[in-house]
Amino acid sequence: MLNVITRSAQVMAMLGGVVLCLLVGMTCVSILGRGLNSLAHGAHLTELAPALAAWLVAHTGPVTGDYELIEAGIAFAVFAFLPICQLRAGHARVDLIAAAMSARFNRILTAFWEGVLAAIIIVIGWRLYLGFLEKLDNGQTTFLLQMPVWWAYGASFLAALVAGLVGVFCAFMRLREVQTGKPHLPKAEGAEH
Amino acid sequence: MSAFAIGLWSFPVLLALIFLRAPIGAAMFLMGMGGLWLITGSPDMALNLLKGESYSTFSSYSLSIIPMFLLMGQFATLSGMSTSLFKAAEGWLGHRKGGVAMASVGACAGFGAICGSSLATAATMGRVALPELKRYGYSGGFSTATLAAGGTLGILIPPSVILVIYAILTEQNIASLFLAAFVPGILAAIGYMLTIAIYVRVNPASAGVKARVPYAERLRALAEIWPVIAVFGLVVGGIYAGWFTPTEGAAVGAAGTGLLALVRGNMTWAMFAQSIIATAMSSAMIFFIILGAKLYNSFLALTQMPQELSLWVVSQGYAPLTVLILILVFYLVMGCLMDSLSMILLTIPIFWPVMAGLDFGLILLLDMQAARLAQGIADGVAMAPDLLAAAQAKLAEGLALTRDEFRALGLRPVTEAMHADFNTTLTAIWFGILVLIVVEVGLITPPVGMNLFIINALDRTTPITATYRAVMWFVTSDLIRVAILVAFPGITLFLLR
Repeated sequence: MLNVITRSAQVMAMLGGVVLCLLVGMTCVSILGRGLNSLAHGAHLTELAPALAAWLVAHTGPVTGDYELIEAGIAFAVFAFLPICQLRAGHARVDLIAAAMSARFNRILTAFWEGVLAAIIIVIGWRLYLGFLEKLDNGQTTFLLQMPVWWAYGASFLAALVAGLVGVFCAFMRLREVQTGKPHLPKAEGAEH
Repeated sequence: MSAFAIGLWSFPVLLALIFLRAPIGAAMFLMGMGGLWLITGSPDMALNLLKGESYSTFSSYSLSIIPMFLLMGQFATLSGMSTSLFKAAEGWLGHRKGGVAMASVGACAGFGAICGSSLATAATMGRVALPELKRYGYSGGFSTATLAAGGTLGILIPPSVILVIYAILTEQNIASLFLAAFVPGILAAIGYMLTIAIYVRVNPASAGVKARVPYAERLRALAEIWPVIAVFGLVVGGIYAGWFTPTEGAAVGAAGTGLLALVRGNMTWAMFAQSIIATAMSSAMIFFIILGAKLYNSFLALTQMPQELSLWVVSQGYAPLTVLILILVFYLVMGCLMDSLSMILLTIPIFWPVMAGLDFGLILLLDMQAARLAQGIADGVAMAPDLLAAAQAKLAEGLALTRDEFRALGLRPVTEAMHADFNTTLTAIWFGILVLIVVEVGLITPPVGMNLFIINALDRTTPITATYRAVMWFVTSDLIRVAILVAFPGITLFLLR
C-alpha cells in the first residue's frame, strides 16, 4: 500500500513539475517573441532591413494567452505538489515542545494533526469540486484563448483527490504508529523554503 | 464578545495551536474557517469562499513566481556554479587570516544572486565549502557557523522568495524591493567578513593558513563565474528595466540555470527528478500556508482588527521609531522559534497597517517639490524666470508650493497626497528590508535555526553546541547592521529616491 501511495505522490509531483517546466519554456518563448516584435517596430531595424522587419512584425509576437496558460498550469501544478508534501511531512511546523514531551505524546499529536490536515485537504477538494461543477455549468471561458475554465478546475480537482487519498493514508499510518509505537512512514524531511 | 475582540483573541489562540505542533497552514486555515463561522453565525460564508478561493490562490499570476524561483534555485544547485564561485572567492581571499571562511561568505553572496532561498544556499555552499574549511584547519563550530550565516545571504541578496511574498502582501513593487535589498545584502556580506576577521584574531587556533594563489590563476577562476553574473543581470536587471514581469523574470532565471546545469552535464534524469521533488515540496508547503493565511486574513478583515489596532497605536502617540523597534524585537524573539516565511504570512497583515499609519518622515514634501523644479529645469521647460525665482525662494524659506504655483510654471504639481503616498511606499520598502533581515536572523539563532540544522547535518563531527557558540558572533554582526539600517534609512532607500 505504501508503495502505491508513494508512487502516485511521486507521479503527481513529476506531472506538476513537467507542467511547471513547460510554463517556464513557454514564458521564455513568449518574451523572445515579444522582444523580436518590438525590435521590428523600432526605427533601427525598419531602416536597416525593412523586409526582415516586416517579416518579424508579421510572424513574431508573444504567445497568445500566456498569462492564462500560466494561471491554469500553475494551479494544477500546485495541487499536484500537495501529495508528496503530505507524504514526506513537508508542511512547516514548530517543533518546540517535542523534546520536552514523551514519544507517545508526540505520536498522538502527530496523528491528530495529520488527521486534521487530511480533513482540510478533503474540504478543499470538496469545495473545489463544487466550484468545478459551477464552471462546467456556466461554461465560463478565459478571455483570450476561450479555454473553458472548468478544464483547469477539473485537472486541479483530480490532483486534490490524490492529495486527499494520500492524506487519509498518512493519518491512518500515524494512528498505527500510536498503536504500535514504531514508525510506519518514511522519516519526515521538511521542505526547503 | 465583539468581532474586534474575537479578532484580537484569535492571534494568541493561533500561536498556541502552532506551538502544539499544528502544521502552520492548517492552523491558519482552521482559525480562518472557525473565526468566519463564529462571526457570521454559520459556516456558509467560509464554505462559499472556499469554492473559488483555493483555485484562485493557486492560480494567481503574481504567486506563480514562487515555484519558478524555487525551480531556479534547485537548478542553480545543479549548475556547479557553487564550486566555481567558491574557487574564485578562495583565490582572492583564501590567503588572508580566516580567508577560506571569508571566501565561503563571498561565494554564498554570489550564489544568493541566482538563488532565492536561504536553506538551498546554505546546503549547496555547505557541501562545497565545508571540506575545504576542514582541509585548511578551520575549527568545526566556526566553519558550520560561517556557512549557516552565509546561507542567509541567499535571501538577503535578490532574487528572494520571502521578499516576493512581502511585496504581494503589502502590494508593493517587487523590482523596487529587490533594488532596495541589494545594498543591505552587500553590507551583510561585508559585515560577516569583518566578523570572521575579528573572530580569527580572538581565537587564533580556529583557522589555518592557506598559500597565496598567483594572479593569473585568480583571474582565470574569476572568469569562470560569468554565467552567474549573466543570469543575475538578466533576471534582476530585466525585471527592473521593465523588459518583463517578475514572474517572467523568474521563468528566465529557471531556464537560465537549467540550461547551465544541462551544458555542464549535471542534469541527469535522477537529478532533474530530485530538483522537481524538492521544488514540489517547498511550493506545496508555501502555497498551503498562503491559502491558510488568506482565509485567516479574510476573517481578520471582517473583524476590522488590523485597522482598529493601527488606529489605536497611532492614537496613543507612541514615537514611530519605538513601534518599529518593538516590532523588530518581536520578530527576533519569534524567529528563535518559528520559520521566517510563516512568520511573515502570519504577522505582516497585522503589522503593516500599523506601520503604514505611522509617519517616519522618510521623504519631505519640500524635497519632492524641489526635485520637480530641478527636473523641469533639466528638461528645459519654459518657465517664467520671475515665477521660478519666487518658487525657489519660497521653498528655501521652508514653505510648500501650491497646485496653482506649479501650474503657472507649466509643471505637474506635487501635492500633499502624492507626498503621503510616496512616503508610505518608502516606509513599506524600508520596513520590508528590515523585517527580511530580522526574520533571517531567526534562521541562525538557537534553538530553532533551520540553517544551523542543515549545516550541522552535513558535518557529523561537530556538536551543535559548538555551532551555537560560534554563530552568536554572526548574530551580533546582524544586530549591528539592523541598528545601522534603522538609524540611516537612506542606506536602503537612496537608490529609490
